[in-house]
Amino acid sequence: MLQKKICMVGAFSVGKTSLVKRYVQSVFSETYLTTVGVKIDKKTVDVAGRTVNLILWDLAGEDDIASLRMSYLRGAAGYVLVADGTRPSTLDVALSLRERVRTEYGPLPFVLLLNKYDLTDQWEIGDAPLADLRANGWWVRTTSARTGEGVEDAFQHLAATLA
Amino acid sequence: MSARRTVAERHEDGNLADRSRSLSAFPDTLERLLRPVPSDTEIDRKALADLLLGLARTLKPDIDGPAVRAPWVDPRLAQLRTLLLGREIEALARLEDPQQFAAAVGRVLPAAVAHSDEQLGQSLAPALENATQSSIRANPQRLVNILYPLIVPAISKSIGETIDKTFQSLNETLKHSLTWRGLRWRLEAWRSGKSFAEVVLNHTLVYQVEHMFLIHRHTGLLMSHVAAENAESQDPQIVSSMLVAIQDFVRDSFSGAQHQGLDALRLGELRLWSEAGPFATLVAVIRGNPPEDLHGMLTKTLSRIHGEYGLLLENFDGDSAGLHGIETELAAGVAQRMVAPLPTRTGFPWFVALVALVVLLLAGAWGIHGWLSERRWEDYLARLRSQPGIVVTEAGRHDGKYQVGGLRDPLAIDPVSILNTVGLKARQVVFHWVRYEGLDAPIVLKRLQASLDPPSGVTFAVDGNRIVAKGSASAAWLDRARAAALLLPVGAPAFDVSAVKNTDAERDSHWVRYLDQLRDQPGIVVTETGQRGGKFVVSGLRDPLAADPLVLLGPAGVDPSRVTSHWASYESLDPRIVQKRLQNLLNPPPSVALTVEDDTIVAIGSAPSLWLERARMAARMLPSGAPGLDLSQVRDISNEEIGKLRATIESRAIRFDNNEMLPAAGQDDTLDHLASELNRLSALAAAWHFTIRVMVTGHADTVGKGAFNLSLSLARAEAVRALLKKRGVDPETLAVRGAGALEPLDVGTSDTARSADRRVSFTIDLKSQS
Repeated sequence: MLQKKICMVGAFSVGKTSLVKRYVQSVFSETYLTTVGVKIDKKTVDVAGRTVNLILWDLAGEDDIASLRMSYLRGAAGYVLVADGTRPSTLDVALSLRERVRTEYGPLPFVLLLNKYDLTDQWEIGDAPLADLRANGWWVRTTSARTGEGVEDAFQHLAATLA
Repeated sequence: MSARRTVAERHEDGNLADRSRSLSAFPDTLERLLRPVPSDTEIDRKALADLLLGLARTLKPDIDGPAVRAPWVDPRLAQLRTLLLGREIEALARLEDPQQFAAAVGRVLPAAVAHSDEQLGQSLAPALENATQSSIRANPQRLVNILYPLIVPAISKSIGETIDKTFQSLNETLKHSLTWRGLRWRLEAWRSGKSFAEVVLNHTLVYQVEHMFLIHRHTGLLMSHVAAENAESQDPQIVSSMLVAIQDFVRDSFSGAQHQGLDALRLGELRLWSEAGPFATLVAVIRGNPPEDLHGMLTKTLSRIHGEYGLLLENFDGDSAGLHGIETELAAGVAQRMVAPLPTRTGFPWFVALVALVVLLLAGAWGIHGWLSERRWEDYLARLRSQPGIVVTEAGRHDGKYQVGGLRDPLAIDPVSILNTVGLKARQVVFHWVRYEGLDAPIVLKRLQASLDPPSGVTFAVDGNRIVAKGSASAAWLDRARAAALLLPVGAPAFDVSAVKNTDAERDSHWVRYLDQLRDQPGIVVTETGQRGGKFVVSGLRDPLAADPLVLLGPAGVDPSRVTSHWASYESLDPRIVQKRLQNLLNPPPSVALTVEDDTIVAIGSAPSLWLERARMAARMLPSGAPGLDLSQVRDISNEEIGKLRATIESRAIRFDNNEMLPAAGQDDTLDHLASELNRLSALAAAWHFTIRVMVTGHADTVGKGAFNLSLSLARAEAVRALLKKRGVDPETLAVRGAGALEPLDVGTSDTARSADRRVSFTIDLKSQS
């Protein structure tokens, strides 16, 4: 059995919690986020016949990057960077967050999810910046917590990267 | 090695290049020269000489061999030595300098120590110990500074746990010290020799370790988890991460906790104890009340796991392969539990009931005892209050004893003596009495009894507000009793002794009568009377002629033994006494009577003139103030008959014959006459208070010798007296004498004259009696 600590990182209300809420095994209520600032969930993924348990640390979303408790990322094997496709500023936040993590903990594996893809009419992030990121070797995926699109895929990919 | 390098260096020298080439042809010699000689550090000069000879021969083969003998001391040899070994000598000289030597050793020492075996450690240990010791001694503070950051947290944690343990023990002990269970445990502690606190903890610490998590510190991932059979929990992986997250939260949120984890969490009866190791944290989830010792168990388990799986823990990356053995360790932790001992019997708790019953009975008995005690006390107080001479002013309980106080007459009953009657003990009661004099009738009665000491015949009794004495007592006691009655304080009951009969009344009346008689007596003046020491006392003046007071006692009915009299003699002028005195003094003849008339003593009757003369003299000698003596009524009578008789008797003579002692014949008639005349005279004398003395004188005639005549005359007088006596004359009145022939009747020598001289004559002496 393999376990990996994965952190969900992203700006406020980008849908981190919704992502894990719907597709992961969860035991704690969301109040944990507001009380303790973190909520632990587990996502079990099968990678080449081997079970990988992704222990997901969902951090309370912060618009102010500085206030993010970086200590939660200690010991993380990778992280999920989440941005809201309807708000381009969240992508900037995600990028700077990623930079902070890299500074603090080095080059950890991660995936970038652009959530709320179901809100197509409000989608504001074009393909160009994503293409740039992908060109830099980033694994980027548009997801929808509501429809479930891309979610499994993302966790599967991350698990595969770590296993 | 260094030797070879030296040789190699020589090869580099250009001027020696050729020579060395030829030298290499003598490897044996060279080897020999350079072979170290262990016993002699000096150069083997012989070998060196041979070598030099060899060298010379290679250059010039014609040089003779052993013929050439180099002297042992050759300056050239020294030169050669300098040439060949100059650098080495220099290097060695450098080693002689301690500083340079030290620098050289210092360069290689770290490497040498790093490659040393453990022997070096053993060799260095004593020196290091000494060094450390002296360093500490020189400056202890330095060691303290070094150790402080290391030791203090460990110590404070240890102390904290110990204090927690102590408090836990104290809490449990206090909580259970007074319960029934506590009593049972006390018994158990006593039986087992354990401390009570220990027993309490054993019984009260009911707990179970439900989960053991071994969590990787760095990643927060679960490395191993064991749960008790009946324990439920959420996904342990999530839980462990959450625990780590919470620890992080605390660590981030509160300053001062950066380097520490959470030791314990508690929620209701669930506790979460965590022990942090270098790589992994052991978390125990405990339900109940665990002993503090469990911390130690966790620490031991954690250190065992670290010891066994150290490397795996350090390099853990989420892959729990190879960590299965840890579960066994954790399982041992989960086995830690303490279940509450089940009651051995579920039936009726007979023992408890019995004990409760006994306690109830004891409590009841105690209660009854207390109630009874109170009753007794009330009873006692009531009795006390009813006692005369006792005034209870305070009563109560203090210091576990009854207290009572007030006023108490010393004659009142002893309060202690009443205690027994109500069943109280003297040691239960404390008394505070102030003495006072009670005016209650019974107490006054007691006081009177004590002070008066009444004789057995007298009894006292309380009659209303009076004390009445009855019976009979002496007058003296009655006097005292009356005095006591007068001295009683105001407000006290009256003391009535009137009913007591005076046993001395009769005696006293006799005495009074006696005194009256005494006072009536002439010649007695009573100046003082009284009673002293149970005796009557009387004193005064008494004329010796007055009546004898003692004689008067008997007729008066007074016991002479109870009377003391003191009389001083005096001469009374009372007429009766004066009369008596005159009577005694004058001894008046029966014909005279002395009588008292008014203030005069009157003599009446007749008396001879002789007596009258004496009486007149006595009257003149009476003291002034005394009654006079009146003699006017006394008739002076003559002494005719006495005179005649006297003349007759004196004229008579009894005749004797010559030389005869007896009267001559015919003298009997004369004797008879004489006898009757003498008797008559005696009678007359007695009547007139005269004394007569008849001298019977014997005579003899002048014939014969004088001596003979004297005895003859005396004999004749004796004979006559005998004859007179014979005829009834009192011989006491007759005196005899012999005159011999010295008193002749007639001086003549004729027979007639002689015959007249032989006679007995009589002379009468008449004296007034006094």
